[in-house]
Formats: sequence, structure tokens, C-alpha cells
Amino acid sequence: MSGTELDLARVDRDGAIAETRGGLSRAGFLTAAGAGALLALAPRARAAGLSKTDVDVLNYALSLEYLQAAFYTESERSKALKGRAAKAAAQVGAVERAHVQAFRALLGRKAMAKPRFDFQGVTEDPKAFLKTAVAFEDLAVEAYKGQAPRIQSERVLAAALGIHTVEARHAAWMRYLNGIQPAAAAFDDPRDKGEIDRIVRATGFVTAKPKMTTRRKPKYTG
Amino acid sequence: MLAGAVAAGGVAAGVATTGPTAAPRGSALPSAPRSALAIPDPRPLAREPHLTRWAPLRRAVTARADPAPAGASVARLSPRTPEGTPHPLAVIGRRADAAGRIWLRVRLPVLPNGTTGWVPRRAVGAYELVRHRLVVDLRRLRATLLSRGRPVFRAVIGSGQQRWPTPRGEFLVRNRLERYRSARYGPLAFGTSARSATLTDWPAGGFVGIHGTDRPELLPGRVSHGCIRMRNADILRLARLMPVGTPVTIR
Repeated sequence: MSGTELDLARVDRDGAIAETRGGLSRAGFLTAAGAGALLALAPRARAAGLSKTDVDVLNYALSLEYLQAAFYTESERSKALKGRAAKAAAQVGAVERAHVQAFRALLGRKAMAKPRFDFQGVTEDPKAFLKTAVAFEDLAVEAYKGQAPRIQSERVLAAALGIHTVEARHAAWMRYLNGIQPAAAAFDDPRDKGEIDRIVRATGFVTAKPKMTTRRKPKYTG
Repeated sequence: MLAGAVAAGGVAAGVATTGPTAAPRGSALPSAPRSALAIPDPRPLAREPHLTRWAPLRRAVTARADPAPAGASVARLSPRTPEGTPHPLAVIGRRADAAGRIWLRVRLPVLPNGTTGWVPRRAVGAYELVRHRLVVDLRRLRATLLSRGRPVFRAVIGSGQQRWPTPRGEFLVRNRLERYRSARYGPLAFGTSARSATLTDWPAGGFVGIHGTDRPELLPGRVSHGCIRMRNADILRLARLMPVGTPVTIR
């Protein structure tokens, strides 16, 4: 078993992400165009008043916030969820969009561009949605925890901790809706960036923009 | 209880002086640093009545009359257009079948124009969102591009002659062709999902395009084989505003 599969299995406790891979080969996921775009888009330059490390950490956090915001937004637009799940998706989505807005405002021109996502129908299937939401929220909590010790500015650290606890609340909420113990462990482990990159890449949710332009001569009726 | 103890001066007065986190008597921790982020209020999803969706076809698939694998076949769809670009489909509905599989209702680029069908959600890629719509008025020979419902572009057009009429209905901009060599089509062309009902044996299937022209003096007029012609300056202006996937209403 490769490291990627192991990592995915660890975060994807209920197989939701694995379910979305149905019908596609693993090689297809790992070589799909744009699969590594999520984090590769992060610019390297400094934002005003922030160290390079903090800019990198903030862009990394922004990449995960983009992923979450797009996930909940697409689900809300699909109107496929009902009841408590729909309410939770709308509320959490609104918060994730606020996070995106805040990170973009702080980073200014240094903010990474929004990647494109293909959730492959997960946002429209209530069961798959909830399982994936648990995986994403747990992942975000682990990511913030993994980066906190690297943050150099105490004000950026304060911001990260402020969001980290909100993500933990989301994780507990989504776990509860999914029938999973919201807070089973006495201690949560962090997860490092390389590991999270591999997990996100393995989902195949990050995709390239389709090329809809060509230089071929038209054959339209004229 | 903790708040009460703090309010009563418990910590400073020595309540916490024996634990592992105890501070020396009389000292105080500095105040908490302010967050670098100004987190705005949660942002509810805006209601967007002009939003439409399309998605590129991922693989060859049979569009069906009903959202079920056993539904009658309506059309066989290729993942590529005749021009070689990904095949975009306008998504106008969604339903789950008895097994929980998701199906999308899409507009089909087949005759008769206006045909719709159902394809499995897994057969298409990411949803793309569009806030534009191109409205082509065949009576007034005008095209208007709307953005969020507001006109942002207007131009006179050429449309099909009486024997090769431009089809009416709801369609989609499928691709964009540029830097080809053909004065007849002008500097740029958009392909649409509309098909001529009369020129069915035209190469590549008789699809209707929106393009420039080498005969601008004929516009406005009913002068084409069904395509929508614009002056070259107008098609270039439209190209700066209109994304692929824009719905096209021809009336």
C-alpha cells in the first residue's frame, strides 16, 4: 500500500473520499491535470509586514479555506441537502466564505488564486456530503494545529487559533450529524503540510480549467 | 465558577499560586495579542437569479429520456465537440434514481433543437457558473449580452436567410475559435449548441456559430446560412465580455 492510500484512509475514516474515486483509476487521480494546483499556486513573495514564513502559512490556510468554502457553497446551490444537514451546510459555508474573505484581505496581492474544484457529485449526495465534510473539517483542524508552531507573528498566531477552534466546532458538528463521536480523543495530533497535500491531491477534487478555445477553422453554417 | 473566582481576585490573590501554571505573586500575564485577521460576519449565499451552470462531458455517454440506466436512449454524446474542445452541457435539472445515483438533466445539441435528456452526474466534470446570457432577437436583428440581467453589449447582426433560418430556442456557447485563417468567419467565432434544421448535411453537423464577417455592409440583414454574423469590431468586443458556457436565447 502506498503512502498516499494510507494517508487517505486515515483521514477518510468512513470512506467518503474513497467513494468519490469510484470509476476512476488511482493513476488517473495522481496524474490528473491540475491535481497539484491547490498548493502550487501559493505565491512566494512577502506581504507587507509579514514574514515569508507567515505568508506561506497564511496562503496554505487560504488554500484549505477555498476548498471548504467551495464545497459547502456548491452543496448549498445544489439544494440536495434537507433538514439539519442543509442548515449546517449553509451556516458552515457562510463562515468558510468569511474566512476566505479575511485571508484575502490580509494577504492582498500576495493571496493565492482560487483553485478550481470538481467535487464529482459529492456535494449532491447527502450521505457522501456528510462523510466528506467530516473528513475536510478534521483535516483543517489538523492542518492549523500543524502550522501553529511555525507562525512567527503573535497576531497571525492569534488569528490562526481563532479560526482553528471554529474549525474544531465545525468538525464536531459534522461528526454529530454523521453519527460519529464528536470528541472521542483526549488529544488531537497535528498533521504536516506534505501529508495534507497528498491527501487533498488524492481526492481528485482539485482540477484544471477546461480548455475551451482552439485555433481550428470554423465549420459552422456561416 | 471560574469567572467568579477571577472576579473576586482569586487568581491574583493567590488561588492559583500553587499549581504548575502559577504566576509569581503580584505579576500579570500580558494582554492577549490582537488577531491579524479581521474576520467579517458569516456570508450567507447571495440569491442569484441569473446564475446558470454547465459542465464538460468527461466521457462518451448516452443521454436518456428518464433519470435511470434503463431509460430510453435520446442521443449518444461525445466528450469532444467537432472542433476538438471539451463538450459542455447546460445543466438544467438534477434527480437521484432509486439506487441513489445522481442524474443531470441537460440540453442536448441534437435535432430537433430544444431536446433535453438525462446523463449520469459522474459522466461530467466540475460545474462552471455563468452570470451572462446572450439574447438574439431575429425580428429586430439585434444581439444583446446581459450580465446579471443587465445589458452590457449590443450589436446588429446578420441571421439566416428564409430558406436556411436561424433556429430559435435555448442554447449554449460551446467553444471559442480564434487565430484561424478565414476572412469569411472574421477574426473570431463562437460555436453554439444550436443546429440548422435545414442544412443537416453541413460539415461537422450544421452547427450555428456566432462570428465575424468579410461582408459587414450586409448587416443588419437575413443573409447567412443560419449563423449569427457580427461586424468584426463587434465580435471582438463580445469576445472580451462573453465566456464559453454562456446561455444563448434565440427568439
